[in-house]
Amino acid sequence: MESTETAHEHPGGQAMAGDEAGHEESHAHPRYMLVWLWLALLTVAEVAIVWFAFLPRVWIVVMLLFMAVWKALLVALYFMHLRFEPRRVALLAASPLPLAVLLILAVMMEYR
Amino acid sequence: MATIVAEPTGRPVVREPHELSFIRKYIFSSDHKVIGIQFLFLSLFFLLAGGLLAMMIRWQLAWPGQPMPLGSLFPETMAPDGIMLPEFYNSLVTMHGTFMIFFAVMLLLVGVFANYLIPLQIGAPDMAFPRINMASFWVAVPAGLIALASFLVEGGAAGAGWTSYAPLSAMPEASGVSLGQQMWIVSLVLLGLSSILGSTNYITTVINMRAPGMTWMRLPLTVWALFITAILALLSMPVLTGAMIMLLFDQTIGTHFFLPAEGGQPLLWQHLFWFFGHPEVYILILPAMGFTSEILANGSRKPVFGYHAMVGALVSIAVLGFMVWGHHMFQSGMNPLLATSFMVSTMVIAVPSAIKTFNWMGTMWRGNLHFHTPMLFAIGFVMLFVIGGLSGIFMASAPFDIFIHDTYFIVAHIHYVLFGGALFGIFAAIYYWFPKMFGRMMNEKLGKVHFALTFLFFNLVFFPMHTQGLAGMMRRLYQTTGYEHLEGLQWTHVLITISAFGLFLSGMLFAVNFAWSLFRGPKAPANPWNATTLEWQTPSPPMHGNWEEVPVVYHGPHEYSHPDVADKDWLAQNERPDVVSPARP
Amino acid sequence: MAGAVTYYAGRAPERGLAVYTQKVGMWVFLASEVMFFTSLIGSYIILRFGASETWPLPGEVLNIPITAINTFILICSSVTMVKAFAAAEVGDKRGTRLFTLATALIGSTFLGVQILEYRELLHEGFGPSSGLYGSTFYTMTGFHGFHVFSGVCCLFWASWKAFRGGYDNRAYKGLEVLGLYWHFVDLVWIILFTVVYLI
Repeated sequence: MESTETAHEHPGGQAMAGDEAGHEESHAHPRYMLVWLWLALLTVAEVAIVWFAFLPRVWIVVMLLFMAVWKALLVALYFMHLRFEPRRVALLAASPLPLAVLLILAVMMEYR
Repeated sequence: MATIVAEPTGRPVVREPHELSFIRKYIFSSDHKVIGIQFLFLSLFFLLAGGLLAMMIRWQLAWPGQPMPLGSLFPETMAPDGIMLPEFYNSLVTMHGTFMIFFAVMLLLVGVFANYLIPLQIGAPDMAFPRINMASFWVAVPAGLIALASFLVEGGAAGAGWTSYAPLSAMPEASGVSLGQQMWIVSLVLLGLSSILGSTNYITTVINMRAPGMTWMRLPLTVWALFITAILALLSMPVLTGAMIMLLFDQTIGTHFFLPAEGGQPLLWQHLFWFFGHPEVYILILPAMGFTSEILANGSRKPVFGYHAMVGALVSIAVLGFMVWGHHMFQSGMNPLLATSFMVSTMVIAVPSAIKTFNWMGTMWRGNLHFHTPMLFAIGFVMLFVIGGLSGIFMASAPFDIFIHDTYFIVAHIHYVLFGGALFGIFAAIYYWFPKMFGRMMNEKLGKVHFALTFLFFNLVFFPMHTQGLAGMMRRLYQTTGYEHLEGLQWTHVLITISAFGLFLSGMLFAVNFAWSLFRGPKAPANPWNATTLEWQTPSPPMHGNWEEVPVVYHGPHEYSHPDVADKDWLAQNERPDVVSPARP
Repeated sequence: MAGAVTYYAGRAPERGLAVYTQKVGMWVFLASEVMFFTSLIGSYIILRFGASETWPLPGEVLNIPITAINTFILICSSVTMVKAFAAAEVGDKRGTRLFTLATALIGSTFLGVQILEYRELLHEGFGPSSGLYGSTFYTMTGFHGFHVFSGVCCLFWASWKAFRGGYDNRAYKGLEVLGLYWHFVDLVWIILFTVVYLI
């Protein structure tokens, strides 16, 4: 179906082999190892918070959720390239999230 | 300003050079048209099967305890001496709902017409992922077979209703059905997979495969409706799949999701089911709305009144459709705050629905009406949808809903929207697109008789159910006799049953027409209805790849009786502006 | 002029998402996957929130250190996946081969550790029928594991293709789309790890 496909070549496609930072400015590969480091550090931090448990439980839960979202965003934005895609792709990716939140919160209301 | 810019030119379609083998062409085909037609035969078969089950249900309700005609064909476990057992009645009701909703109407609307029409109406040679499309059909087939086969296993088919409320459905010892219920779950999980694969395809195709010039606001309303429907299916089906899997685990590996004795929550099933179930309701009606809009415009020789409002109404029905699932559960003792918000959001849906209804009337208003069979069914759709929609508003109100909960009022409502709505839209669409699918016309006279009889018998069957429901006739009742408050109603059951047989026979008229026209119908021209959308601008039936060259779109979707065009009352979407004969220079 | 035909006025046809079709398709599919995991994880959250008796803290039942390491393993596989794509994009065939195979192997390691964890838990008498906790735990992690398994199968297939030189700077879409799926599975695990093992 190549004929009608509105194929949009990934800008990195024509770039030459070699260094990672040498692409055209806006589509430079993110520093994957840096993201990896962040993910690893956040995982360690999460486990540490639970391990030492010196905070009240509510705070632990809030911080854990915050860090989970942070990690998820790192993966989505850098590994899944959402930061470098057109805005509409990010919109498509985020579209089910309000529904997910709605479903969980509405049913949780049944128990309070 | 009618600026005429004659460019860009269409590109040639890349076509496979070699002839395909019979199996690749007609059985494991990746051509969207063949897949659509395969779905058509599959779903019409289930429509027939579901109809037969309904006839048996009706027999029991009108003449409880009497042996059915041909009842001796059934084994002892279903109907000893031709008298059906209560367990068998439960299976009939459950499987009637399952067949009709999941395998007949949903596949007819989405499987058939989304497959067949989307690429043709947007000017694409095929779907974005033809092989995934093929997979979606070949996953639906075993799903259907498993559902059918469940009648034959020990304990019979699932009997917990098409909603399969837990804990009844989760406890085989309560419903008496274990394997049948599990097969029901597996069947629907497979169907959900098929639906998700299909929806992924439809959405991607509409987003990325439109012909040059086919902007969003030039999409025919059918495509808009099918696109929105695909989004609904995509986001709601997986929730059902998840819930089904939990139910299956409750039955098989001893989990306790929905079993209150172990701390599980039966209400959770209802929430998950209806979070899927209400968008499902719109999956079953939105495509029919799309067909109706298009056929009404064609039959009235006028553009659709308020095209943008129609699109907006579709989108807002879809968005609101995700926020109203709780109105199926007012009786469950839910949090009153939650119930009120569900009630309000449900009533808000009346607004976009009314926009659509008034726009349909606006489309017909002072049009040059042509009452061909599709048009008749489309008008029937509008009339019956209004009745079903109005009873829907009654039910949205929690106090009234609690009064008519689980009565025949609900049965009347669902059949007014699903049969009077969706199925009338489907009949309209089949009569309308049959020439394109098979290259032959359907018999117009027989079609009109079919319409008249269906319309008559439909109302005779389902309208009295409103009254029955208000009088307290319970929804899943097996034995109608022996209740004091129902004694005066028995004659209405007989009336309904006789009319239901009439309805079934008029359906047979359609089957005869369909089968006869398939082989003996007069050859159809490319554009028998003088329609504007792209699928009519290619031969009937279209060749593999759909187009000689990819069409370029210059006009809106429903340009009938355009003042700038002199010699005809329609303007095809891909008609080059410099070729159109101007009425005014 | 009112009512004029809106002729095609020379503007470029709308381009959809301006992203190639396979990628749109994968994102659309992932949207449905989000809802699938919502039903499973959501049920867990709701059941735990509404539970009448106190829910045991994960640390009392589950082995957190092992799973933390397993989480790290899955994160590493995401990095190798993205490296494989980056290598294919610049035409580095050796890197593509290496990183794709590495991703498949690391993914298998994750699965192996999960199977060991299941065995240990079952041995301790914590099974799918051990109350709501067991029900939800095995359903969620099990279906995540099933997704990882599907991903690993695809990754081995992709490695085979990479070893035959199937990916280069013109043909990397398959790897990118597979990568999207793989990162999504990683993302779900990040949420699952926090929600199931830590909170």
